[in-house]
Order: sequence, then C-alpha cells, then structure tokens
Amino acid sequence: MKNIYKKIHYQVFKLSGIGMLLLAAGYSLPIIAADFPQAGNFSDGAKVWAENCNRCHNMRGPKELKDDQWISTAFHMRVRAGLTGQETRDIITFLQASNTKTVASGSTLVSAVISKGATGKETYEKTCIACHGNDGKGTLPGTPNFTISGGVLSKTDEVLIDHITNGFQGADSPMAMPPRGGNANLSTADISAVLKYIREAFGE
Amino acid sequence: MKCSCYSFRRKLLATVVSISLPVMALAESSNADLQMQIDSLQNQVTALNSEVQQAAEWKNPNTLVHMAGYADVGFVSPEKGNDSFVIGTFAPIFHFQYRDVVMLESELEFQISEDGETEVNLEYLTIDWFVSDYATILAGKFLSPVGQFRQNLHPSWINKLPSAPPGFGHDGAAPISDLGLQVRGGFPIGGIRTNYAVYASNGPELNSETEDEIEFELEGVRAEGFGADRDGDKTLGGRFAILPVSSIEIGLSFATGKATVTELENGVEPPTVGLESGFIGNETARDYDVIGADFVWFTGNFSFRGEYVKTEIGEAVTGVTMGEGGTWESLYTQLAYRLPGTKWEAAIRYGDFDSPHDSQDVTQTMLGINYLVSNNFIAKLGYEINDGVAGSPVDDDRTLLQLAYGF
Repeated sequence: MKNIYKKIHYQVFKLSGIGMLLLAAGYSLPIIAADFPQAGNFSDGAKVWAENCNRCHNMRGPKELKDDQWISTAFHMRVRAGLTGQETRDIITFLQASNTKTVASGSTLVSAVISKGATGKETYEKTCIACHGNDGKGTLPGTPNFTISGGVLSKTDEVLIDHITNGFQGADSPMAMPPRGGNANLSTADISAVLKYIREAFGE
Repeated sequence: MKCSCYSFRRKLLATVVSISLPVMALAESSNADLQMQIDSLQNQVTALNSEVQQAAEWKNPNTLVHMAGYADVGFVSPEKGNDSFVIGTFAPIFHFQYRDVVMLESELEFQISEDGETEVNLEYLTIDWFVSDYATILAGKFLSPVGQFRQNLHPSWINKLPSAPPGFGHDGAAPISDLGLQVRGGFPIGGIRTNYAVYASNGPELNSETEDEIEFELEGVRAEGFGADRDGDKTLGGRFAILPVSSIEIGLSFATGKATVTELENGVEPPTVGLESGFIGNETARDYDVIGADFVWFTGNFSFRGEYVKTEIGEAVTGVTMGEGGTWESLYTQLAYRLPGTKWEAAIRYGDFDSPHDSQDVTQTMLGINYLVSNNFIAKLGYEINDGVAGSPVDDDRTLLQLAYGF
C-alpha cells in the first residue's frame, strides 16, 4: 500500500514539474527587446539592491565593477537569488549610475541639472532611503546612523554638501557613497533641500 | 603751394605703406598660426571621436564575456594531527551572455590533494534561458536548489566561517549538485517577494562499504551531478521561499526519486548478476527522499540563519548490499555580527549531523572572528569543537585560518 502511494506521489511530482516547465515556456517573451540592457528604475534598483544582496553575502559597492561587468553579474544573481527580470533591470540601472568615481573632498562637480523642485523629503525617499533607511539609522553595515548625538550630522553643511555632491567613504565603511547618492539628476538645490530634511527629520 | 601739398601726400603715403607692410606681414603670420592650431584641434577632436566611438561600441555589445569566482588558502591545526598549510579552492566562474536572452554559466573547482595532485572538477555548467521576467530555464549540471548553503552560501568569501557545517559537504545529508533541467525565478504575491526552483534530474547514487568484503552496507549518498541515470528513474525536486518582509526569507525544499548502489568499497568487484539491467550486484533502485527547511533574518550588522535537511534511502529486497535503508540528517544555525564602526565580524555556528554510521556522526560548535580587509577579501580565524564517537576522525577539534577572496 505504501508503495502505491509512493508511486502516485512520484507521478504527481513528475506531472507538476512538466506543467511548470510548460507554463514558464508559454509565458516566455517571444520578441527580443530592442534595447539592451533595457532601462530600469534607479530608486527601485537601490531598494532591491539594499534589500537582497546582503541576505547572502557582504555588499559589493557599485564602483567595484564597470558597467558591462555589472550586467553579467546582475543576471548571474537573477538566477541565484530568484530576482525578477524587472528587479534585475532596476539593479543594473542603479549600479551603472552609481559607479562614478568618488571625487576628492574639496573639489566640486559642476551641476548642469536644473532643480525640478523636489522637496527634501521626496529626494530622500527616492535616492537616499535604500541605504540610509526610513528611520535614518542606516540599513547597511557602515552606513552612518543620523540619529546619534555627535554623529555625522554634527558636521557643517559645507562638509556634508561636499560629501553628498562628490561621494564619500568613511574610514570604517566597507564601501563608498557614490556622488549625489548615485542619482546624477540631483541639483545643488536638491542636495541642499535633502540635507535640510535630514537635519530636521533625524537631527537633534 | 601746390608743390608742398603734393610733397605732403607723398610723405603720408610713404608713412602709411611703411607702417602697413609689417602689420600685414604680422597678420599673415598670425593667421598661419591660427590655422595650424585649428588643424591641430581638428585632428585631436577626430582622434577623440574615434576613441569615444570605440568605447561606446564596447559598452553595450550584444555578447558579454565575464569572469568571476573565488579562492581561498589557509592553515589547519587539528588537536590530534599535524598542522598543514592548505589551498582550499580556486573556483573561477565564466559567464558568456547574449543580451537578456541566454547566459552560459560554468564554475570550475581546482583543489590540491594531500599528495600534491591538482584535482579539477566541474562544479556546475548550465545554459540559462531567460524565458520571462519570472522564469529561467537551466539545463546542465547545477548546484542543488535544496536548501540555501550549497547553492548560495558555500563560496569561501560568502561563508562566515572557514569550514562547511557538518552534513553540508560531500557525502553529507544535503545534495551537492544535480544534472538535469531546472526552472527557477521569482515573483511577487501582492507586496511579498517569493522565489522558487523545480527540477528533474538524474539524481544521486549510493555507495557501500564492507568490513569483510562479503557483507556490504550503505555508506553514503553521493548527490554530485552524475552524467547518467543508473537507477532509471528521474529525481524531482525543488524549493519555494517566501520573504514576508525584506529582511526575512523562509524556504522549504524537497526531492524525491530513486537511487541505487553503484560503487562498492575498495574497488571490490561486485557479483555480475544483473549487470545487464544497469544495476551492479543485483542491486535494485531504492526510494530517495529529501526534505529541507531554511531561514535567514538579517538586520543592520546582524544576521541569523539556519538550515535543516533530511535524506532518506529506502530498503532493497535484493542486492549485494544489506537491505536496510538509512537516514542522513543535518542541521545548523549560525549567528554573525559585524562590530559597529570596525572591520571586525564575529560568528558562531552550531551544527549536528546524524547518519546510519555512528563513526560519522558529529555535533559541532564553531567560533570565528573575521577581519574584512574589504567586503570581498576576508581573513578568518575559526575554532571547531567537534564531538563525535571517541577515536573517530570527526572527534577532533581544529583551529582554522583562512584567507578568502571573491572576485
């Protein structure tokens, strides 16, 4: 009797497997996309990157690899981590936009972008929240806790604007924050506004 | 009067000419310089354009070639044996990708044996066909999707400790790899992320040991991606995981199929009965069933994970190996904590492995301290406290040093 149940289970598993395979093939994309890699969403990519990679291994900073290397790496991780195609495109977009070289402190990048009038809160939630967290305490190892008294927010606006604008890596941080948080569209006004918001939301 | 006017005009003309000639000559000279500078700039712009075009050409080609991988070297100091420097593994991973359609992935594993010979194994080789945003078909030899450790955590730069948990290495309770067809991917259910893998494969093989070369008993399950299906029945398996929140993943795994004994200890020649059926020594196909569960929770500098896997082999009516089946069971839990504001990380792991053979059973506690030179280059120091049957090889505490580099 036990063997009969065993055989039935085996056949059910076999049919389920074949069914899932056919289902996957049936929903396959018949047309190869015109653009490669297809553009993803920067802020969604930052969120997926921050929420997924650290689950298995230490975070790899965006500037560790070049743009084309991030494509293959992200597709490798799509298979390993069970990411969706959209999540993969978002991560690639985020990493490729964030692997700009960090500029030495004191120098200033010229902003050619005119502010689109985003508030500091909007900019924080779009660009900063993936790493710095909803509560400003940091979601990744090495990310500063904004709420600590005498912490990073005790620095002057001039210093912090320079760090945001040009990128920054603390002495004990395993990876650098990319210039403008990886979002090249941030204007000088956006950066000032987001710093003001950070001070108001998380500072003393 | 007329004469003086004429003279004045002549002098004026002479003066103008005398001034203009050098100026014109100077102007001609400046124009020539400017023309040279313009030509030079044009040449530079042309050269830069060419370089920019070449760079853009390489930036987004349809075919990408990429290499990654990891390697580790170390030092092992057992309580009851000799200290040794060791090379753990050199494992290059090759990626050949055509757009977002297909990727060939292959990992080789180079190791140096105790007698100095270089061993090379194909850890995995799959062609991954990205058929939709939610499914990828893998064909070839793949890392077993049962549980988390083998498929995602075993590379030395990822593993928080310098050794694998007991039962999750070779001949343990957890399958290593398999050869077949797999569908895997992820999809959201509302706001909850999930991921899955299902596969059909050749499945594992069994080996037997003997003390008197007459009576054999099951030694272990070798689930390492064999290139033939000796038992004739395909193994089906998979894993489904859910992430109720982004910092927690809970997974359940299974595998079911058949397995038969294909190797006897010490190369003992099996009776030839039944060879025509593909079985050695009149062996038969036994039931093979695996269940597993795993979880991980991470937040900030802290991560906590655990895994359980049980492999059961059924009984056999005939064969040179004794008819009893067996159960291989293993679990581990691991806690890791990155010290805030430093590059130091502490880890502790508790593991337990039970098999049909008491001499293989072990309960292990491992303590480790890591220094993260960078996120992918890690120096690890670990101490294994192993509790097995007195006198057995597994009942030996060890100190391990390891340098692991992921590239």
